[in-house]
Amino acid sequence: MSAAPAIAAPAPVKPEGHTLPVVVICVLIVLAWYVAAIPMNWVVTGPKAEAAGGGLANLLLFSWNEARPVIPAPHQIAVELWKSVFMVKPWMPKSLLFHGWVTLSSTLLGFVLGSLLGVVLAIAIVHLRFLAKSLMPWIIASQTIPILAIAPMLIVVLGSLGFTGLLPKSLISMYLCFFPVTIGMVKGLTSPETMQLDLMRTYNASRSQVLWKLRFPASVPFLFTSLKVAVAIALTGAIVGELPTGAVAGIGARLLQGSYYGQTVQIWAALFMGSFIAAGLVWLVGVAERLILKRMGARP
Amino acid sequence: MAGPVISARELSLVFQTSDQPVQALARVNLEVGEGDFVSFIGPSGCGKTTLLRVIADLEQATSGTITVNGMTPQEARLKRAYGYVFQAPALFPWRTVERNVGLPLEVMGLDDAAARVARNIELVNLKGFEQKFPWQLSGGMQQRVSIARALAFDPRLLLMDEPFGALDEIVRDKLNQQLLDLWRRTGKTIVFVTHSIPEAVFLSSKIVVMSPRPGRIIDVITTNFPVDRTLDIRETPEFLAVAHRVREGLKAGHSYED
Ligand SMILES: Nc1ncnc2c1ncn2[C@@H]1O[C@H](COP(=O)(O)OP(=O)(O)OP(=O)(O)O)[C@@H](O)[C@H]1O
Ligand SMILES: [Mg+2]
Repeated sequence: MSAAPAIAAPAPVKPEGHTLPVVVICVLIVLAWYVAAIPMNWVVTGPKAEAAGGGLANLLLFSWNEARPVIPAPHQIAVELWKSVFMVKPWMPKSLLFHGWVTLSSTLLGFVLGSLLGVVLAIAIVHLRFLAKSLMPWIIASQTIPILAIAPMLIVVLGSLGFTGLLPKSLISMYLCFFPVTIGMVKGLTSPETMQLDLMRTYNASRSQVLWKLRFPASVPFLFTSLKVAVAIALTGAIVGELPTGAVAGIGARLLQGSYYGQTVQIWAALFMGSFIAAGLVWLVGVAERLILKRMGARP
Repeated sequence: MAGPVISARELSLVFQTSDQPVQALARVNLEVGEGDFVSFIGPSGCGKTTLLRVIADLEQATSGTITVNGMTPQEARLKRAYGYVFQAPALFPWRTVERNVGLPLEVMGLDDAAARVARNIELVNLKGFEQKFPWQLSGGMQQRVSIARALAFDPRLLLMDEPFGALDEIVRDKLNQQLLDLWRRTGKTIVFVTHSIPEAVFLSSKIVVMSPRPGRIIDVITTNFPVDRTLDIRETPEFLAVAHRVREGLKAGHSYED
């Protein structure tokens, strides 16, 4: 026992090894932003600063505190975010949480529908050889059509059929996000080695047994990689879906209103809210991935 | 059932590849009886794996006939007549040892799965490793898991493709002894592919010497070592005589092509 301390315990490795670079980059971006705000806002704020007597102090004061700037300063966005998240009741239309929730709910519905569609299509393509030839071109073509072009049509058509609100927006999310899931899952479902497939053949395993006991488990890492992409573009889809409807609620609606009324601070706050939601969703999928792959015996 | 377990007559197989056809098997005649331990030995590319795969209905012969338990290989496969051990362990990485061994039982819906799994894990000396995942095991342990998996549903016929090919001498000797004991106790029919002359001579009741281009059988040697033999017999003159004959056969097969 006495010899034990001689073998020093390894120094605890700092897990936050890459925190510092990230912080440095963030600080640099914020600084560059403040500097860039001066010339970019010059048109609006230059004359005002002159009128107030000129000088650097006045220039900075006006460039960074203009109510309707070309580009708001970071602290203005932070203040707007703070006010619209914490200072109003979350169910009020002034709250960004309210708008975030509206967008999030159609994102989630679209994500679930799109992922299911993506998995089902991939299973069909892997099992029915003729589908691979006949379906794949359509799937790829579907993604070459600009979503902004069909979103209004889709929403009008669905609206005339009586579908309004959440569903049309979710369908646009679904339309965008099934694609990476299909592509990833086709790859994943065909990833088992010949030997593993031959093994199942020696057991006279049925096609569904091969699917559920071999192909599907083998495709799980591919699935999660696709889901991370899918969840982010599902959010984009939901926001795009809010633009042509003249929706009154949602991140997209907030962006649109902001641009109508020249409220750049509001636009930027909504943009940040959108990216926080996206980051949160991707993070959640990552957490689910780690938990599930750990249960499936992945190397830590 | 008195008939042979495997019977091949004038069996040939040609692979159509993009450049030229490859004659993997040429007019192979082979008879494997109930309870035989048959080894295929020969240089790389002589068709050992191909012949085993034809028996297992993983490959179809281009001409000739073959029966397994008196049926076509396909009928035999559909009846789950054999257990197959591949050249690599081919374990499912997301399954623990226990669930890998239980895989055939799940697929076939057999009762008594837990007891069978436990018995076969014990048989290959992996007790205590039931909950480990494949990456936590050494190569030799993984191959033993794959053997336990092939034994789990208790097939009467065992087809093994170089199961110990990737292992070191010591582990290999030990597994050879264990496989021989298993064969003696269970009376299973075993068809075994190997590159190693001592392994083939020690294990087999019948050694099939093969030669490449085209893949064919050039000698069949029946041995008469006692069933309870141990590795010590490898020093005996009888053993060395058989090994010599195998070596001569392999040499003859080689000089053929040059
Ligand atoms: N699927 C295939 N398509 C085309 N040619 C093949 C195929 N499988 C095997 N062959 C060819 O058939 C011949 C016999 O191959 P086989 O795998 O049976 O050899 P082997 O005796 O098992 O060799 P090894 O000892 O290296 O495993 C080789 O020439 C090989 O190139
Ligand atoms: Mg081989």
